[in-house]
Amino acid sequence: MRTYFPVEELARDERFSKITMSERMADARTVVGRTGGAEEPAKPKRNNNRLVPSRPDASDAARGLMHGIFVGEIQALEGAGRTCHDFAVSNVPGTGPTGADSNPTTGNTVPFALKLDMARQAWDEARHVEISVKLSDWMGTEIGQFAENTVLFEAACSTDPVLRLAGVNRALEGLAIDVFTTMKDFGDLAGDPYLEFCEDWMLADEVTHVKMGSDWLRKVTEQDPERRKKALEFQTVVDKMFSFGGTRSDSEESPIGLARRFRELAGFTEVEVADIAEVSMAALNESKDQVKALRAKVAEELGAQLKANAS
Amino acid sequence: MSVAVTPATFNYVDFDPTSIQRVGEQLVDALGIDRDVRIDVDESTPLARISVDVGDEIVVHADSGAFEDTRRPRQQSEVATATALGRVLHRAADRLHGGFGEAPPDAELSLAQLAAWESYCVGRIERLGVPVNQQRWRYNFRNRHGFSDGADAAFEELWTSTGLTWPQLLAISQRAAAATTAA
Repeated sequence: MRTYFPVEELARDERFSKITMSERMADARTVVGRTGGAEEPAKPKRNNNRLVPSRPDASDAARGLMHGIFVGEIQALEGAGRTCHDFAVSNVPGTGPTGADSNPTTGNTVPFALKLDMARQAWDEARHVEISVKLSDWMGTEIGQFAENTVLFEAACSTDPVLRLAGVNRALEGLAIDVFTTMKDFGDLAGDPYLEFCEDWMLADEVTHVKMGSDWLRKVTEQDPERRKKALEFQTVVDKMFSFGGTRSDSEESPIGLARRFRELAGFTEVEVADIAEVSMAALNESKDQVKALRAKVAEELGAQLKANAS
Repeated sequence: MSVAVTPATFNYVDFDPTSIQRVGEQLVDALGIDRDVRIDVDESTPLARISVDVGDEIVVHADSGAFEDTRRPRQQSEVATATALGRVLHRAADRLHGGFGEAPPDAELSLAQLAAWESYCVGRIERLGVPVNQQRWRYNFRNRHGFSDGADAAFEELWTSTGLTWPQLLAISQRAAAATTAA
């Protein structure tokens, strides 16, 4: 079986439609926002975008997020499975067998117990996929009804297992903790017994996955502070990417909140949680500045156009 | 009756104004609407809000997300277009045909009232032959009326009804909420 599987070749049937992060970011509507017209000032964005039942679009927003969780679970299953297979076994980084799949100079071997944890994670993710399919059905969503963003699997394609632990287990599974907490709270507030119950159970697994990532990252890089630094930098990059547009932060302007308590249970230090909060808030502010600048530009262009038409 | 669509050309999305107009005309015919309709699409936002003003002319304000194919961002979906337009045009037709004189203006409808009215509208859209996912609307109704057998029974009643008046619709909605509280 081949190692290092490219994202383009992930197996999906005709129900699915993939979208890359760059395609998503190329959608001008996500940054331009409501323009109104040259005479009509742009309508400000809601101050509270948190996914709560009182939002007028709550049901559809919850369905969209649930489908995002569903495809995320498929990719998490694929990523954990790849990590079980892609690396040779060695309990001391840099001393494993050589060959196409393991390069001792970069230390891309993994301890056997790490593979066992990834196998357990793959089992959990498979269960989550099944639960997500049933929840989507319950909420009135068909499989593949929303485009699938494949960035989670992309983060699981690194040739360094430590980067996978940082990018997938800590950054993305960390985001999953935030998402599941938001969805669990949503189910609780709406009185939806199945949503609240299922999210709570999946959340418990996600905390375990993040904890496994935190523990293995520390263990594998114990003697290699440079490698640990590089991995944590990669985690910051992934964290920031997923905070794109301010989707997740402490602010009520973000649809998804930061689940501080569960993150601490998952092995994040207070400083690390504070760093993620800062990165997320910076992404939100960056997005707001970008929207403001683009709105001004569009208004200016429309104004010039109207002026030209009048003359 | 005429149906007009603005803008005539889309820049941010790949929408076809002719297709939107055609779907609008089919609905206007099917619902017996007796006045002109204008559909203003705001393509600068991916949100899916849609609203309607009923006057001498019916004006629909739609965010581009309302007509979008969620599988293929920025592309139009004819089913989404028919469902979104059908919801607001049914509501407009209900107001014009009578029995809904006591209904508050759209902006003053509570989320529960709107969910009840939309369940009634989408049930009729399905009977016009537009494919809809009933569970999606049941889930929306449950979010606004609670998750109970009584709420589900009320949803079925709305979905299968024709010729309801506002007081009847309101009574079903209130009964649903009360059933959940009692459960």
